Amino acid sequence: MKSTKSRSILSVIVLILPVFLNAQVQYSNYKTLIQRIDAMAKQYPDLCKASAIGKTEGGKDIMVLTIGTGERDNKPGIALAACTDGSYILGRELALGFAGSLLRDASSPEIKTLLEKVTFYIFPDVNPDATEQYFQNIRYERSTNARPVDEDRDFSTDEDPFEDINGDGVITLLRVSDSSGAYTESSEDKRIMVPADLSKGEKGTYSIYTEGIDNDKDGKFNEDGPGGISFNRNMTYNYEEFGANAGLHPVSEPESKAVMDFLFGHYNIYATLSFGPQDNLTQASRGGGDRGAQGQAQQAASQPGPGAGQTGRMGERRISSVMRSDETVIRLVGEKYREITGVKGSPQTKSDPGNFADWSYFHYGRYSFSTPAWWYPVERDKNAEAAFLKFAEENKLGDVFVPWTVIEHPDFPGKKTEVGGIKPFLMINPPTEKIEELVASNYKFITVVAAMHPELELIDVETENKGEKIYRLTLKVHNKGLFATCTEAGQNNIFTRLMRLSIETDKGLTILSGQKVQRIPRLEGNKTAEYSWLLMGKGNVTVTAGAVNTGFASSTIVLK
Amino acid sequence: MIIMKKSTLNILLSASFVLITFALKAQQDEFFFKAAGTPANLKVDVSWNRYYTYAGITDILKKLASAYPDLVTLESMGKSYQGKDIWVATISNKKAGNPDHKPGFWIDGNIHSIEIQGSEMALYTAWYLCEMFDENKFISELLNDKTFYIAPTINPDARDYFAHVGVPPRSGLMPMDNDRDGLFDEDGPDDMNKDKNISQMRRKSADGTLNPDPEDPRRMIRVEQGRKGEYEMIGSEGIDNDGDGQVNEDGIGGYDGNRDWGFNWEPNFVQSGAHKYPFSQPENQAIRDFVVKHSNITGAQSFHNSGGMILRGPSIQGGGAESYSRQDDVVINEIGRTGEKMIPGYKLLTIWKDMYTVYGGELDWWHGAMGCFVFSNELWNPYLMFYDTASTDQYEFDRLLLFEDSFIPWQKINHPVYGEVEIGGFSKMIGRLHPGFLLETDAHRNAAFCIYNAYQSPKLEVSNVSVRKIEGGLKEVSARVTNTRMLPTHSATNMRYKIDPPVYVSLEGGNVLAGMIITDKDRNLTREQEKNPGRMEISNLAGYQSVDLKWIVKGDARYTIRVESVKGGRCTVVAE
Repeated sequence: MKSTKSRSILSVIVLILPVFLNAQVQYSNYKTLIQRIDAMAKQYPDLCKASAIGKTEGGKDIMVLTIGTGERDNKPGIALAACTDGSYILGRELALGFAGSLLRDASSPEIKTLLEKVTFYIFPDVNPDATEQYFQNIRYERSTNARPVDEDRDFSTDEDPFEDINGDGVITLLRVSDSSGAYTESSEDKRIMVPADLSKGEKGTYSIYTEGIDNDKDGKFNEDGPGGISFNRNMTYNYEEFGANAGLHPVSEPESKAVMDFLFGHYNIYATLSFGPQDNLTQASRGGGDRGAQGQAQQAASQPGPGAGQTGRMGERRISSVMRSDETVIRLVGEKYREITGVKGSPQTKSDPGNFADWSYFHYGRYSFSTPAWWYPVERDKNAEAAFLKFAEENKLGDVFVPWTVIEHPDFPGKKTEVGGIKPFLMINPPTEKIEELVASNYKFITVVAAMHPELELIDVETENKGEKIYRLTLKVHNKGLFATCTEAGQNNIFTRLMRLSIETDKGLTILSGQKVQRIPRLEGNKTAEYSWLLMGKGNVTVTAGAVNTGFASSTIVLK
Repeated sequence: MIIMKKSTLNILLSASFVLITFALKAQQDEFFFKAAGTPANLKVDVSWNRYYTYAGITDILKKLASAYPDLVTLESMGKSYQGKDIWVATISNKKAGNPDHKPGFWIDGNIHSIEIQGSEMALYTAWYLCEMFDENKFISELLNDKTFYIAPTINPDARDYFAHVGVPPRSGLMPMDNDRDGLFDEDGPDDMNKDKNISQMRRKSADGTLNPDPEDPRRMIRVEQGRKGEYEMIGSEGIDNDGDGQVNEDGIGGYDGNRDWGFNWEPNFVQSGAHKYPFSQPENQAIRDFVVKHSNITGAQSFHNSGGMILRGPSIQGGGAESYSRQDDVVINEIGRTGEKMIPGYKLLTIWKDMYTVYGGELDWWHGAMGCFVFSNELWNPYLMFYDTASTDQYEFDRLLLFEDSFIPWQKINHPVYGEVEIGGFSKMIGRLHPGFLLETDAHRNAAFCIYNAYQSPKLEVSNVSVRKIEGGLKEVSARVTNTRMLPTHSATNMRYKIDPPVYVSLEGGNVLAGMIITDKDRNLTREQEKNPGRMEISNLAGYQSVDLKWIVKGDARYTIRVESVKGGRCTVVAE
């Protein structure tokens, strides 16, 4: 007994060291990602399960780590999705770092209790085809998977990729001296090119292109490179039909389908957190727009017929802004985020149509939180790139800018052409020294928020003897968590579970009044619902309340 | 026991098939002669006054494919939820060109499982085209120019449930937790009298409000207010299987195959019947994959029932990402109105405006995502009972023409909850479905409408070809390309989002120095195409539209003008 224990502790130490030391050194490529996942699953077989839930278009495994104890899929779950946009590579580190920290602390009283109540489903990278571009010979920010797509609709595919003209391994910009160009040097930092503002009397002297050649000679540069479809534009909510990198239809891609099928298959998941461009933790969430039927009313609307009235009614059931009672919880979580991580300001966020974070709330009907987790300060009305250069200098980030250097370019013979600009990834991903600290603060944040999960208990259980072996049984179902049992947005969604309240009686008992099985309506945090039954006879009565997304509460009452 | 090799057996079997066919033909010549518009000398004999199971449909399709190898290719697009093949028959004269290079017309049926006769309509069309190919000039020319892709049932699981078990939901048979209690399909209707029907339940009641009609006691009529009736109706056949106080609230399946398509999709709390995301259903995935590979499809028909409607999109107000353009509207309405004439009792209606809003419907996907012209016929119309819009009494029809064959007589059973009840009413074979004797008539009319649709898909021809010597030893080659049918090569949506490439007109032979479209012949105005003038691009050829082109060429004396259009077909002309 004793020897077994000491051996296992020893092996834990031996195995932990390479995994966790490695984590803080640099960004993990796909191979390292898989190694780290496998190591965790091997090290903690009782707590952690690693599964490949599908293959990307490019043939990589889409991984999910399930961390929890007991019947993991039968208790409230949180899904953590990283790299919803492949250029936000920090997500991989935060997700793996979170998993590692959780496992490391699993025997601490706090985390042990948490894992008894909540299961974590961690997707360290939902879009590895895209993320991996960071580790390639030509480095550029990429959001798309490996599916060949004719982005510029010229009926040839992937024919105009980037070219690393100056051979420095990164894709930056081209600037071409052009007396009628649209760009000029920024007054905040001369290295930065900005559109000339005619209203300020500025005239452009440069044209700006991405670093590459116009391979298909259509006047556009690098508009049809390798890939692909962007995971973060391929969700159903606010999906942009025929949008750039949006796919043939929502959830057209193996990555999105695998993740969706997993999430829809886990009814116990009540909240998601994604690391990506969207932020609703430091700024109020927005709906991200609505392509609305009414706004589009065109000629077809000119002569409404007998069916026309129905359109409005159905359209009204759409949800395109956060609902009030959900807002309360989201705001609370945002406050916790700012308090625990100490972040200031708010990052620049993109509201991509078809993004994951909006989908998770509006269409999946779960609490959805999202953050880029790292950003640099930009003062109001200031140029973001110039601000980044200033930030880089102050924080000694080193070589973040490729100085403008004259090159020969086949598309601009006789024109002065230079390559230069801020290196890709640096504006949206922190220097590696920051990772450890970010892992720690985000881990703390997630565990604190997870402890607010919905949780049921049966309180004020009372039996009143009405005489003649007749009893009135009364009780309250109490959600003692801070989160509601289901979001307001998700309450009419067929893919969220309704809580059931059922009563089992011994043979000697009959139910005179009250239902044997019934549904419990949505309960907000710290709210109750009261139920009663009229029973006749003697014996045990067991009342069970709950659903997989809230957990179950049960109570046995003896009538004698 | 004689053991034969499988191949020998096959040879013997096919030989006997040829002999039987031969004998049948001889017998047919002796006994039958042709009625106008219907094939008489059949290679595949099919009765069109009954319904076919999935096995029956498969059998007919396989017989057609083996009897008409030059016309029919049968393939499986994929598997249903239960693993049945989803068949599509490609029908075209293969000897007159690659079927996938001709304008294609798609037909599917039975997407909704209770709307079964779409399969017979689709199957009839396939059969008719094959059997008439040798007998009718119009059909043989049609199959030289066009290709039909016919998928009689795109919901085979639920079709067989309908045929062999009972009344399925609208959907396929993927389990779904409709009452959100964690149990799947645990409380469906129960066929208590085991007649493969889910009928109505009535019982005698002190609070009754219904009495049998003295004229036809099968019919229950409501008593006037304040009077006492003998019976009450208590819903459709079933019990509360899961004990939650609700009856039949979570049966098999329970979603909607026609709310699952990847255009204007909305989730289930907006659009009931929607599943997780577009193409959640394996049957629809299979069709999507097939259709995406067959961009030559120009038009489509998806058969539903009922009500006698020729439905056109859009299915939501404004059409979502892309509304219908005025040019496309005109063509669609013209075809639809011709359909009204061809199928008496059927009316051309626009889905969102005249019926209801549908998000994620198949029609919007065809039009919006694939750039096709599409209709959905809602088959069967009470008008067909007495050819009279004012007289549509189903009881009378059943009595006078079906001899009460579609009515299940009220029958007493003991219900575990409601006590003694009577089960009865019209069977699943009436109300939405054609009775046998009207099935072939309506199948023919609907098939003819599909044929008309396909006929009107673009047909491109080259004319007015001339080769003229100009200065410097160069030549000017000019030609006119005409679309001789009603539908354009590109719908407005197709052009706007560049779903298909433009019409390419290539000049082969010599060195093409310049190429241009003549925008005004009289004033000699042209629009030059600088890039790749040897392959001129025409963004669209509308119905009956002609475009004149001109090239300046050096060398050669023999030129080939090649027209290639994804949805308009191909043609080649040689000029000297």
